[in-house]
Parts: sequence; C-alpha cells; structure tokens
Amino acid sequence: METRILHVEDNPDDALLTAMAFRKAEVPAHLEVATDGQKAIEALSGGASIVPPACVLLDIKLPSLSGLDVLAWIRQQPNLKRLPVIMLTSSILASDVNRAYDLGANSYLVKPSNLEALIELAKTIDLYWLRTNTPPLVTT
Amino acid sequence: MNPNTLLLERALLPNLAGETPKGTSRPIADLKANILLVDDRPDKLLALEAVLTSLDQNLVQARSGKDALRQLLKRDFAVILLDVSMPTMDGFETASLIRQRPSSEHTPIIFITSIGNSENHIARGYSLGAVDYLLTPIVPDVLRAKVSVFVELHRQTELIKRQGEQLRRLEESKHQREMAEVADRLERETRRNRFFTLALDMLGIADFEGRLLQLNASWEEVLGYTESELRSVSGMDLVHPEDRPAMQEQMQALRNGCRTAQLEGRYRHKDGSYRWLFWSAAPFPAENLIYIFARDITPRKQAEAKVAMLNQELEQRLVALTTINGELEAFNYSIAHDLRTPLRSMSGFAKALLEDESSNLTPLGLEYATRIARSANYMDNLLLDMLAYSRLAGADMVPEQFTLDEPVAELLGLVEKEIRDHKISVEVGSPLGTVFAHLPTFKQILTNLLSNSVKFVAPDRPAQIRILTTRTPGYIRLSVQDNGIGIAPEHHEKIFGLFQRLHDNQTYPGTGIGLALVRKGAERMGGRVGVESEVGKGSHFWVDLPAEPPPPDGNENPSRRRQS
Repeated sequence: METRILHVEDNPDDALLTAMAFRKAEVPAHLEVATDGQKAIEALSGGASIVPPACVLLDIKLPSLSGLDVLAWIRQQPNLKRLPVIMLTSSILASDVNRAYDLGANSYLVKPSNLEALIELAKTIDLYWLRTNTPPLVTT
Repeated sequence: MNPNTLLLERALLPNLAGETPKGTSRPIADLKANILLVDDRPDKLLALEAVLTSLDQNLVQARSGKDALRQLLKRDFAVILLDVSMPTMDGFETASLIRQRPSSEHTPIIFITSIGNSENHIARGYSLGAVDYLLTPIVPDVLRAKVSVFVELHRQTELIKRQGEQLRRLEESKHQREMAEVADRLERETRRNRFFTLALDMLGIADFEGRLLQLNASWEEVLGYTESELRSVSGMDLVHPEDRPAMQEQMQALRNGCRTAQLEGRYRHKDGSYRWLFWSAAPFPAENLIYIFARDITPRKQAEAKVAMLNQELEQRLVALTTINGELEAFNYSIAHDLRTPLRSMSGFAKALLEDESSNLTPLGLEYATRIARSANYMDNLLLDMLAYSRLAGADMVPEQFTLDEPVAELLGLVEKEIRDHKISVEVGSPLGTVFAHLPTFKQILTNLLSNSVKFVAPDRPAQIRILTTRTPGYIRLSVQDNGIGIAPEHHEKIFGLFQRLHDNQTYPGTGIGLALVRKGAERMGGRVGVESEVGKGSHFWVDLPAEPPPPDGNENPSRRRQS
C-alpha cells in the first residue's frame, strides 16, 4: 500500500511546488493536500475506521483554524496522539517554534525559498521520517 | 555672729524698701521683730512694754483677744505674750483662734498667768500650743530673756528668707543683664558688619527655638515679611508642613551639639507662595544661638522641576518611539517574510520551466525564464538580508565571553571555495584574544566582512587577506585587511548605510545591506566599526569589540541600549 502524507497548505503554489519537489526527489509517497485547518481535521476524522497518514506536513499560517490549532486537536485524539507531525512553515518566529514544540510537534522545518533546497528537504524527509525513523503505533 | 552673715546683711540692706540703715554696727535694727502684747489691763501692758523696750523691737499692744486677732491680720509676729485671764475672750480661747489661722499657726505664744492658777493653766496652755509661760508678777530679766529667744529666732528665719529672695533677684537680674548684653552685642556686631548687611544671601542669628534675633535685609526681599514680622514668628511656622519633620530633626541636631546642619526646604512667602531656601547653620551653644546662612534656590528648583518634567516627557516620547520602532521592525520583518512566499513561487516555477519544460521553450523563452529565476534569487537574498538586519536591530543581545580564534577558523572554512577559486592567501594572527560579545552576531559580522574581501579582489595581483587583532583601551580590535580594489575616502561613511552600493550588480553582486548589518551588529554589542582604504590599495575593515564584561549596574535591559 502506498505511503500517504497529509500536506496541510493553503497556498496552492506552495502545495504544487512541494509536490513537484517530492516527485523530483522520487519520494515513494503520495501527498494529499488539505487547504485549511478545518479540511485537515476532516481528513483525519473518522476515529478507528480510518488509516492515518504516515505523517503530517503542517503549515502554521492558515485561514481560520491555524496549524497550531490543528496540532493541538491532533494531540487530543486518542487514535492520533502519536502521529508524527512535521511543521513546514515560513515562520521563523521563536514564539511559533516554541509553541509548536510545546504542543507536541515532532519536527520544525522552514520552507526553503528555492526549488533545489525544497527538493533536498523532500529527500531529507523521505530519508529520515519515512525510512530511518521508527514510527509509533499510532492507534492504541 | 558669723561675719559672712553680716556681710551679706550689709549687701542686702539698701534693697529693703522703706528702710534705711542706721549704721553698719547695728544692722539688726532693720530686722526688727514684731511682738504682740495682749492684756486687758493697760497698766500690765505698760509694765510689759517697759521691760521689753530695751530689746528695741516693735511692740504692739492689744487690749483684748479680738484686738489681738485683728493685729495678727495686719502683720506677722515673732512672739505673742498672751494674758490668760481676760474678759469676754480669755487667753486660751484667743490662742485656739490664733492657731486656727494658717498665717499664725506656728507663731510662738507665751502665756502670762498668776501663780495661783499656774498648774492648771500651764497644762491647758501647752495643750493649746503654747511654747512657754510666765508667772506674774513678771520678773523683768526672765521676760526679756524668753522674748529675746523668739526675737532672735524670728530674726534668723527672716534673714534666711530675705537672703533666699535676694539671691533669686540677683540671679534674675544677672540673667536679664546677660541677655540684654547678648542682644546688644548681636545688634552692634551685625549692624556694624558690612558682610552681614550687604550680603545677597540671607544671614541671621536665631535662638534655639528657631526665632530670628538678627537678620539682614535679604530676608525681606526673599520672603516679603518685614524684619519685625520675621522676628515675631518662629522660623518653623514658615516652613512648609511637608518639610517640617526634616527641619525639626536638623534643629534638634543643632541643639544637641551637631556642628553644622544643612537642608533644603520650602518657606511661606508673605504672599502665600512658597520659596525654596537652602540653609546651612551652626550652633553657638554658649549663648544658645544658631547662626544661619540661607539662600533662595527657588529659580534653581523651578529649573530642576522643569528639567525633570522635560525628562519625563522625553522618557514618554522615547517609550512611544521605542514602541513605534518596535512596530516598524515587526512590520519590516513581516513584509520581508511575506514577500518571500510569492517569490518562492516565481523562483520555483521558473526553475520548473527550465528543468521540466525546456524542450518546449525557444532559446529566447529559456533566457526569459533564466532572467526570472535570477531576479527571484537576487530578491530572495535581499529579503534574507533585510530579515537579518531587522532581527539584529530587535534582538536582545546578552554578551558572553569567547575567544575569537574558533569562530574565525570556522567562518574561513565557509568561504574556502572562494579562497581556492581566487587563489587568495590568508594570514590569521594567533591567538586572537577574548571578547565579551554576542557570538551569533559576531559570526554574522565576520561573514559579511570576509565575503566582501573575497568578492572585491583586484584582478591584477595575487589576492591576500589578513585577519589580526590589536588591543585598544577596553576593546579588542579585529582587523580584516585585503589588497582588493579599495574604497575611495568619500565613500567610507556611506558604505555602512542601508542599501548603499558602489558597484553595479553585474560586476559585484550584492544587496547593499551587508556593511549596514556589520555596523548595526557591532553597535548592538557595544562595539564600533570603521574602515581605512584607498582605491587600488585594498581595504582595512576593523571592528572594536568589548574586552571587558559590561558593568553590572549598566542597563539591565540590553534592548534599551538600542541605537538608531
């Protein structure tokens, strides 16, 4: 079964470029895009019946529900509380970084500005989070 | 008689009103005692008087008990000779009434009684407070001897009383004389003293209660009261209620022997306003006086208050400016940050065109895409520098102690490729020393200086870079010297400004922020930067970094040291 990654990103250009970078990096995973926080929660809802993605790439600046709100919600769900969440955002504000870790983010990555760096980042995520890292048992 | 007593008596005599001395040989005459003779029979009174005349005292006769009591109201008596058997009010009855009066309670009474009644009468007489008795017929010598005892007793008592009174008067007049002398002397001294009368400051002499005894004209000029008005009030009454406790404390210190006291306080002017006086005072304990020097410092106080107010206003403006500055920095940060998002798309999709769609593009199309990618890349560098500058301006920098050698080696490693490509020979001093600075900011500064040195190499000679330190008072000066193209002196100041560039972007690419970052960073760390350079002769950039930790009482909030 193909590895799925949930990419929560409101900017369609960024979503497209990220997908392009993952394709160029030949990451064997499918990126599902949720364009705001509410859609992200919908995509993850359904309790024990759904199969959670391998990880979530989560932007912070989102309309209405922010990425941090989504993160807090995830950590409150019994079946999602250990789901690896990787913040992928352009914010380097210390307050955002600290808040994300406080809420239980597993990693905090800043969006690179050029495509080459984005491809490198995609390779790193593949190598570390999808291959090297031992995933938790998400569902209890 | 004690000769001293005599002397004293002589001294006293002229002061006794209505009495004149009869001669130094008989001073006692002036202390004549009153003797009351009480008998209903004139012949017996006459007999008593005849016997007692030789004592030379005042003999007063009374023909009845009632008469005796009347006489007792008029004067004091040294002794009373009281006949026992008298009609209407007998001697015992009279004695008992005499004793009831406080003024005659202790006056000695000698009863006169006949031998026939003696035993009975004597007992009764003693019970009524008689001191002695005489039996008729009178024996003149006995009578004189007995009365003499009481006359002498009275005289001595009177003498002691008068001596006491006289001493008291002497003391009093001496004190008054002394006080008058002091006042006179003060008056003379102060009026005669030109310094006192001409002084612009207020000079005065007060007593220990703070009442001004002497004062010069300046008091009236400053406080509006006339001299007599000022003399008639206690200085404390004019002091502002809030300043009174401090003033009282100083006065007490002066009274207790403190040698000088100084104080600033507000005094009420006659018009009701308050004037600030600075005074300095010294006590003169021998005469219970305080010498006062006072100066009107109201103009200075008003100026101080104005300065304080202006300072407060400045402080408020500073707070407002700091807030605005902070908001501007946040705004700059936000702008630079948000601009990067669309830039990411421009850059990313231009690259995608070049890589994924190159087969579908004409050579011109490829060139356009290349230009888009290049511009996007330049703009991204610009925004990154702006973000770095913004961060530097706003960050709190807590200085730490570190040696320069490690970060210098580390940063040289980052430009290793350029050094190799341009065949630059690099020379680094050792050891470079220890500074108190913010390490990340230092790294940023050195990165920018090094990248300038490897960028502006002269095309016609082998490039060199020297990094060394020298010690200046309080600072370590880190020098980055190159033999590159150099900078004309008129540009030496300009190059540290924001967005200042000397070359077109094709020849020497850059954003114009690098050296502004260097200056801002150095200033934020309490250091400074400078350049010595000539066109064609290379550049020497230097950064002075603190060699000592910042003083502990310095600004606890480093961000307040922020400079524009």
